[in-house]
Amino acid sequence: MADAAGRVIRRTEYILLAATAILFVVGLMAGDTFFFRLATESLIFGGLALAVDLLLGIVGLLSLGQALYFGFGAYVSALLLKEVAPSFWLATGAVLAASAVVGYLSSFIALRSKGVYFALITFGLAQVAAKTVYNTRELGASDGIIGIPIVVIGTPFGGLDTANAPVFFLVTLGVIALLYGLTKYLLATPMGGIWHAVRANEARLPFIGFDTLGPKRAAFTLAAMIAAVSGALYPMLRGFVSPELLYFSTSGNAVVTVVLGGVGTLIGPLFGSALLTGLRSVIGTWTEHHQILIGLIFVAVVVLAPRGIVGIAIERAKRRAGEQI
Amino acid sequence: MKLKKAVIAVCALMGTVAVHAAEPIKIGVVTPLSGTYAPIGQQVRWGLDLAVKEINAAGGVMGRQIELLYEDEEANPAVATQKAEKLFQVSKVDFLTGTVNSGSTLAVGQLAERNNRLIATTVSFADSITGDKCSPNVFRVNARAGMQSAALAEWLAKEKPKANVFFIGPDYEMGRSTVAAFKKAAEAKGAKTVGEVFAPLDNKDYSPFFGQIRAAKPNVIYTSVAGNDTVRLFTQMSEYGVNRNVTIVGASGTVTSQNLSAIGKAAEGFVTGVGYSPKLDTPENKKFVAAFQAAYKALPDLYGADSYGVLYFYKAAAEKAGSVDTDKVRGAMRDLEWSTPQGRKKMRAGDHQAMQEMYAVTVRNGQFDIIGKVSAEAAVGPDACTRF
Amino acid sequence: MTALFDSLQFIYAPQIINGLSIGVAVILMALGLTIIFGLLDVINMSHGEFYAAGAYLSVTLLGLDLSFWLVLVLVPVILFPAGFLIERYLIQRVFHHRDRHILTLLLTFGLAIVLEDAYRLVWGANPMRPETPISGATEFLGIYFPQYRLFLMAFGSLLILGVWWVVYKTPAGAIVRAAAYDRDMSASLGVPVKAVYALTFAFGVALAGLAGVLLAPIYSVFPTMGKDFILLAFTVVIVGGLGSIKGAVIAALLLTQLQSISSLFISPVWSDPLVFGVMVLVLMFRPAGLFGGFKNG
Repeated sequence: MADAAGRVIRRTEYILLAATAILFVVGLMAGDTFFFRLATESLIFGGLALAVDLLLGIVGLLSLGQALYFGFGAYVSALLLKEVAPSFWLATGAVLAASAVVGYLSSFIALRSKGVYFALITFGLAQVAAKTVYNTRELGASDGIIGIPIVVIGTPFGGLDTANAPVFFLVTLGVIALLYGLTKYLLATPMGGIWHAVRANEARLPFIGFDTLGPKRAAFTLAAMIAAVSGALYPMLRGFVSPELLYFSTSGNAVVTVVLGGVGTLIGPLFGSALLTGLRSVIGTWTEHHQILIGLIFVAVVVLAPRGIVGIAIERAKRRAGEQI
Repeated sequence: MKLKKAVIAVCALMGTVAVHAAEPIKIGVVTPLSGTYAPIGQQVRWGLDLAVKEINAAGGVMGRQIELLYEDEEANPAVATQKAEKLFQVSKVDFLTGTVNSGSTLAVGQLAERNNRLIATTVSFADSITGDKCSPNVFRVNARAGMQSAALAEWLAKEKPKANVFFIGPDYEMGRSTVAAFKKAAEAKGAKTVGEVFAPLDNKDYSPFFGQIRAAKPNVIYTSVAGNDTVRLFTQMSEYGVNRNVTIVGASGTVTSQNLSAIGKAAEGFVTGVGYSPKLDTPENKKFVAAFQAAYKALPDLYGADSYGVLYFYKAAAEKAGSVDTDKVRGAMRDLEWSTPQGRKKMRAGDHQAMQEMYAVTVRNGQFDIIGKVSAEAAVGPDACTRF
Repeated sequence: MTALFDSLQFIYAPQIINGLSIGVAVILMALGLTIIFGLLDVINMSHGEFYAAGAYLSVTLLGLDLSFWLVLVLVPVILFPAGFLIERYLIQRVFHHRDRHILTLLLTFGLAIVLEDAYRLVWGANPMRPETPISGATEFLGIYFPQYRLFLMAFGSLLILGVWWVVYKTPAGAIVRAAAYDRDMSASLGVPVKAVYALTFAFGVALAGLAGVLLAPIYSVFPTMGKDFILLAFTVVIVGGLGSIKGAVIAALLLTQLQSISSLFISPVWSDPLVFGVMVLVLMFRPAGLFGGFKNG
């Protein structure tokens, strides 16, 4: 990764971290609950956006159905917490393992196609899954599942209560930071190099002796796991799951978030999620025609700044440093 | 207004909301203002706005004005809970209403329990809300599916004894349970089931099912589709002549004032069991309909009437309790009797389901004429709630 | 034996004919979609909203007491310039970007969000429906069939043939296909490629609007109606091969027959997953669809 880009991304990380720390202290002093929980939700959906960005920004695959894995994680977690045992470790561990399997297997279907076909096939898969959940009585059908108990996370340092908003915010922050760090680490490995190369020019790779399908499969599986683990946190926050979590609106929102924040920057989606969740909460109270505003903002970003907010910052830094864009 | 909101937000952030005696009572409304259910949200909003205008003009509740805070839930439980939490935590609303689809009502009800607040639904009619998934923090002022079926089955047994009924439902939990409830009620009164089909929600074309219907030779067709789906089903049935010599009956949400004009002539003769009709011949209702029409240039439907009534329900409970405290208001709400345009309603303490007279109505010249009546006690059915 | 004939006549035959009339409706939706993709390589996610635009305009124009036949002509004429402007001033702006596919898809996705809410703002949330211009039904061999649907099938077939003829048999069509085949070569031979792109997009939008006018009387009009058909239309276009008119027609007929017949045996809820399942299978084994591309006819 070019130097200027790395600097901007690092700076964005610091800014986000500092803003989080300041808001955390302010929120704690004010004894707030709602904003902590809203921030937690934005992190959870940020995790979903991170998965979309891994596919779109790094490997160059647009997923229009990432909510499938998000919803999968949410439902598995909800069922385990409600029916088996209210254990954070059991739920996240099981979701991690199950989503690895599901992600790997579905990659055999999805990765048969490229470009727009990949977008449409992921879209189709998610639609089938959403319809199935919607029609399955055992999964609560259209009403979803309520009554998921409040979870106390057992750690060596004592129990962490997910009903306590600041505490669960920190837990979620930890999980998402872990996912972010892991993805960033993988990018620096040879595998990450191939991912970037796939996006740049996939056709040429096999000629110089690289297998592209394996790394693509790895990226797809990883993205499924990131989305699923993020989803697993949702029922712990809200106490229910519903089929809407798998809908196209969820997948589409994640794509909007990525584009707004900055495609291919990984930190951009987290930033975008915070921005968009806040924006929606404010605009939604202000007018019932919030869709138009969000849509217009989105169209404007796509037309005027397709690299997103962090992308623009990178562009400017590069220009200043005299690097090629 | 904006400044005031900002001030409230800042106060909430600092955790120093001072309660003055004259400060308004805040009621949150989480209802779909966009998306497929927006027409219902519209009626909910009109009903509530009208009631607030009247209550505030008459001196408010215990001398305090009522202030409504609206949030759009997009008929998505994930959005509804987030918005409801904002109203509970930031705006500190005293009471919440407005949820439409049963998924949202159930999820918000659970949130209310965890926040120790009360909510009431004025639209959701899934029996489970006051049945096996009942909550001490959730009240329902509208008639549930079972009550509607009871009224319709009563009419059917009288007018079309031993009817051969064909059922068309939308294939999701609500649609299926509504069909099941009516089927049970109708069969108990001598009707015979000659066939049933469940079409997907948002089905485009119903004509592929008409062959089955024709083959079953029913003289009554029952349907629990709603909204845009009804428009399509009814239009296509009349297109294909399926409705010739057949009486079409259905759920209360099947034909409402929102989709009636789009269905047009095809809706004539439709019969349903419902808790309200604008043609109810009582002074209270005439006053309500006149005020509603003057304000919004539209007729109220069951959602508008039930939403109008819920604020009088809250007013009566808060005044009886002498407080807006959750536990006191809940205590007051139980067994409370209050008056609405639909007549007297009584909140059953056992499952928080309002009891009211139910009517069989039919569409005649684009209006809902009342053609039958069932007493509240006969319609309400047994209390199936075991949680409290 | 008679039982067999009875079931053929009274169960299967109506089912097949009904499926056919739905198939024609789906083709009308899919045509514009596949043409726009064939030439511009743009997945138009707002296609359903243009269909809705046609339906809403027809409601308004019919409300002015214009005749249905006049409206049928007027609506595409109104939507054509709208499509032209959208291509020129929005899509062209991201058209030369490296991620053209993805950006145009996102752009039209955003446009769809805006349009849907705009309809609610202008026309309100309640459903509306224009009266069916041709009422009554025909009985043929014991099968009862509405005349408007017969008209729809005849008119739709003519329209499909007409579009096919324009694309494959006229000089204008040849230019469009040439521009799709090799943009630079066409440009150097003097084809005004930019104008061709905008005009083709506008043509696709006008077709969607026309479908809206034709289908509004049976499927009614409401803000989210664009989402309804578009899923099936997309599936049809993908299965048939993006950009192939022949493919769209065949896939639409196949898939709607599959839905129609299967609803006799399995719960119709599964008809959507069934169709998507077919799409996924086709994409797995023939990633370019059954008939790829309109460049090769």
